[in-house]
Amino acid sequence: MSFSFPSVPRNFRLLEELERGEKGIGDGTVSYGMDDGDDIYMRSWTGTIIGPHNSVHEGRIYQLKLFCDKDYPEKPPSVRFHSRVNMTCVNHETGVVEPKKFGILANWQREYTMEDILTQLKKEMAAPHNRKLVQPPEGTYF
Amino acid sequence: MANSNLPRRIIKETQRLLSEPAPGISASPSEENMRYFNVMILGPSQSPYEGGVFKLELFLPEEYPMAAPKVRFLTKIYHPNIDKLGRICLDILKDKWSPALQIRTVLLSIQALLSAPNPDDPLSENIAKHWKTNETEAVETAKEWTRLYASGA
Repeated sequence: MSFSFPSVPRNFRLLEELERGEKGIGDGTVSYGMDDGDDIYMRSWTGTIIGPHNSVHEGRIYQLKLFCDKDYPEKPPSVRFHSRVNMTCVNHETGVVEPKKFGILANWQREYTMEDILTQLKKEMAAPHNRKLVQPPEGTYF
Repeated sequence: MANSNLPRRIIKETQRLLSEPAPGISASPSEENMRYFNVMILGPSQSPYEGGVFKLELFLPEEYPMAAPKVRFLTKIYHPNIDKLGRICLDILKDKWSPALQIRTVLLSIQALLSAPNPDDPLSENIAKHWKTNETEAVETAKEWTRLYASGA
């Protein structure tokens, strides 16, 4: 890999993501924010996805937890659903999004953001192998 | 390598920061990324931050010097113009930035901000309110936080 430019260090990168999240993203169907406003290292985040049209997820609101460790964004955050969901890339017991089954985490690059993860998960919900799966009752949690 | 095409201006500034540091300020680039600096500022005397050692981080974005450096406190500090994440409300870091300014001037301005908190242009509403309604007590809290979080341990 070649970098034409030295990369933005972790903390400043997360501050950028925080500010972007605070402004609001696109049509608002994905969003995220920091869990603990006192955590100077900005590790723990909550993401929200509104289920896409033309799928069983339509109109449902899903909450996720994203954890950005010290090695973010060299390494992806760990991602797990808090709201119960039935998707092929999500562990049925824990809600963890399994990196091996989810491209953006498996082939992570440091330019990717939490917004990208949430947007990809939303797309994944509408993919043929997910959009018709029977879902747990709304408002239940892992 | 990431640092191979570091602009001459940044190299010059860095050399001068290391060879002639401003009193009470130290800044050294990280080994992996020469645009990322570890910074220490000593709390100015006669200020509530006196005796404190404050850690900051500074990053020179790609557009520097056309864009301002990014700086924040890593040490917790009770100050109306600094928020819980250490972000600093200072005009030269935003709309008053000019490429004639340098890393040194930025750090000196931050040091000056510690001597002269400005509760009329706050970043932390609660702290600013505290400052305006009961300055003596707010200053006491700032001293207390300096002892608790900035004792240099």
